[in-house]
Amino acid sequence: MTNLRIFFVGGLISYRALFNWLNPWIFVPTLVVGPIFQVLFFAYLGRAAGVESDRFYVIGNALQLAALPGLFAMTFTITGERYSQTLGPLLASPANRAVLFLGRALPVSANAAAVCVIAFVGGAVLLHVTLPAASLPSLAVVIAATALSCTGFGFLGGAIGLRIRDAVVLINLLDAALLIFCGVNIPLESLPDWMRAVGEALPVTHGLAAAREIADGATLGDVSHLLLAELAVGAAYAAVGYALLRYLEQAARRNASLETA
Amino acid sequence: MKTLRVIAVGWLIHFKIMSRSPFAIGVGATWPIVNATLAYFMYRAGGYPQTLLYASLGSAVAGIWSMAAIDASGAIQRQRWWGTLELLVGAPVPFALVLLPMAVAIASAGIYALATTLLWGRLVYGIPLPLEHAVAFVVAVPVTIASIGVLGFALGMTLVRFRTASHIGNSLEYPVWIASGLLFPLAVLPAWSHPISLALAPTWGMRALLHSALGGRAWLDIAICLGLAAAYTAFGIALLERFMDSARRHATLSLT
Amino acid sequence: MAAVIEAHDLKRTYKTTTGVVRRKPLEVEAVRGISFAVERGELFGLLGPNGAGKTTTIKMLITLLLPTSGTARVLGHDVEREPREVRKRIGYVFGGDRGLYERLSALDNLRYFAELYGVSGRRQRERIGEVLELVGLTGREKERVEGYSRGMRQRLHIARGILHDPEVLFLDEPTIGVDPVGARELRATISELVRAGKTLLLTTHYMFEADTLCDRIAVIAKGSIVGQGTPTELKSGVTDGRVTEIEVFGVDDAAVERLRAIDGVTAVAVEEQEQKQLLVVQTTGARELTQALLTELGGASVGRVSSREPTLEDAYVALVTAE
Repeated sequence: MTNLRIFFVGGLISYRALFNWLNPWIFVPTLVVGPIFQVLFFAYLGRAAGVESDRFYVIGNALQLAALPGLFAMTFTITGERYSQTLGPLLASPANRAVLFLGRALPVSANAAAVCVIAFVGGAVLLHVTLPAASLPSLAVVIAATALSCTGFGFLGGAIGLRIRDAVVLINLLDAALLIFCGVNIPLESLPDWMRAVGEALPVTHGLAAAREIADGATLGDVSHLLLAELAVGAAYAAVGYALLRYLEQAARRNASLETA
Repeated sequence: MKTLRVIAVGWLIHFKIMSRSPFAIGVGATWPIVNATLAYFMYRAGGYPQTLLYASLGSAVAGIWSMAAIDASGAIQRQRWWGTLELLVGAPVPFALVLLPMAVAIASAGIYALATTLLWGRLVYGIPLPLEHAVAFVVAVPVTIASIGVLGFALGMTLVRFRTASHIGNSLEYPVWIASGLLFPLAVLPAWSHPISLALAPTWGMRALLHSALGGRAWLDIAICLGLAAAYTAFGIALLERFMDSARRHATLSLT
Repeated sequence: MAAVIEAHDLKRTYKTTTGVVRRKPLEVEAVRGISFAVERGELFGLLGPNGAGKTTTIKMLITLLLPTSGTARVLGHDVEREPREVRKRIGYVFGGDRGLYERLSALDNLRYFAELYGVSGRRQRERIGEVLELVGLTGREKERVEGYSRGMRQRLHIARGILHDPEVLFLDEPTIGVDPVGARELRATISELVRAGKTLLLTTHYMFEADTLCDRIAVIAKGSIVGQGTPTELKSGVTDGRVTEIEVFGVDDAAVERLRAIDGVTAVAVEEQEQKQLLVVQTTGARELTQALLTELGGASVGRVSSREPTLEDAYVALVTAE
């Protein structure tokens, strides 16, 4: 029971404490305005270059945006705790590590899915992009899966953030990597082989491919292998992140490097 | 002349601080490369070399705006963390003379972005940089930077009063890129948005850079850019005093 | 002769919110009507526990915060209506690690602030040299501040605060976190500034600092002044009594209340110390109350018992804990 409480309540409170998400002045610009404009930007760029369609960019960027809360939230969760110096007390607490950090993952994933949907809807409305109504439930599933896998990805970012001082630099680079390698704004077929390979190892790639196929009429069954791949990638990153976290924690106890890193 | 001195010294000091921040330079200099790469890929499919130069310059200027927008928000917040904000506000010099050079210094760090992006374009994609009107180009660079800095100043101003405004700053990244026609011509945008675009100084700065590189009425663009920047500055300064008073009333100055 | 710093019934309220989803507004009264005056050449101390309102008061006086009500004047200028005039003539120094640009050298820091605080161009070099000399940092000015110790940072703070040669200097907990030797040097510098004719207002929660440095002290607790006067005057408020210190092992609040209820006891403070507690009991009158005290403690284990003359700290405790 304690674990459940830590999971839900702890997660929500720390999230709120660090992000003040419930403040509309923060919520709206960061999770609504920014994302929608990202979609618009790449759509217009595509129009100017005469490459692909508005729909291509709406779907691509909306899904990439699922990474936004995952990456930044998880990193800030940890570095923010370090800043407010609550990280030490937190790690010293007897709460089960996995449950504690997974607890933070839940609001983040929900957030990620929400951003994705907002960007989708915003982009679709403003650019007059339509999707077959029948595909929407399947798309919802894909979005949920991608949100989860991006959160797992963010886990790794958070763990790295424990060790590196300016982890935000790294996070920005990861965000950039997702834009380039995952077929978001450049179709996977147009990417050189090595870039495509990198994309396969990143979140969003498979979920996005699934979403594109669904928009073209495929069913969930058709894309199930892609969904599984997406979840697997996310889980792998989460596992690595968690392992890294435990390792760093132990190492830090020996070298006292956690707080000051 | 004392005013100019204060601005010059302020600029120098904050530019120094920025230059010694690995994070700021690291992100500032690399993000534009990301945009540039994306733009190159997309434009190359279209096949016009001139558009690649557009992509190059545009990404660099986009990077400068990102520095200014995100960092102007960050700068005020950083001053809060460092405990220096109250010292700056408590100085007898009008706060506008503190904030303005700070914003321009931040945008100036964008010079690193310009350099790396153009270099990247040249080395990796073979994009040459023609300089039809070299002098105009050299002038257009600081003018564009200054105009972006001033826009950042206008943004930073609201942060003194509203702590959450930094998030607004982050989300203004793409909108300005779009509205200023940095990576694609204004013709792509809906007609009703054109007046907004033309009222933004970076739009003219970008045109100045393009025209001085490829040929066109660069000096006119520079003049309009400067004029707009001056207008923002005046407007910003007038509004700043009111914001400062409000910040004093609501005690938002030193709180993190 | 008008006072250099005057505060009349200063009040400051903060609005904040409680609650997660439905936020309720909450008003916190940080300063509840503070009045005092500081004469030219005085070193005036604001003494009080954390959260008493010292920093808020100073911020109102240095024009960073507007009072919710009440007025204040520094060198005749109203802090609310003439902030620039006030700022030109005052210096502000606060304790802690913050307030400096880490990545810059001390010299660069001073150059920037010299410019902002109006030290004329040609005078700057000379003046920077002077202040570095005064605080004992000559020769270290080209090093980056990030390498400075806490004591050095404090000295640099003071250097920055006096760059424009202000008549009045406000110091907010200047020796906090500084090692004893460094703190002593800082206090010596502060004394020198007073000797040079400046007027200083100092906030602190260190007793001996207030006692040794200040000409006059105002004791602040919970946003109000609970006592004012020279250190001697404040001590005399408790010198017709004695202070008895009793070491106990595990006393409860009820017992402490019983002690307070004893006739002749003016204050009881409990200091937690590892395994035990130290009860500091102030008593008035010549009567020997030790027996009565020990009786009321009943079965609690008692260690050392000692009796002494009151100090400023005791006066302070008495003032701060009085209801």
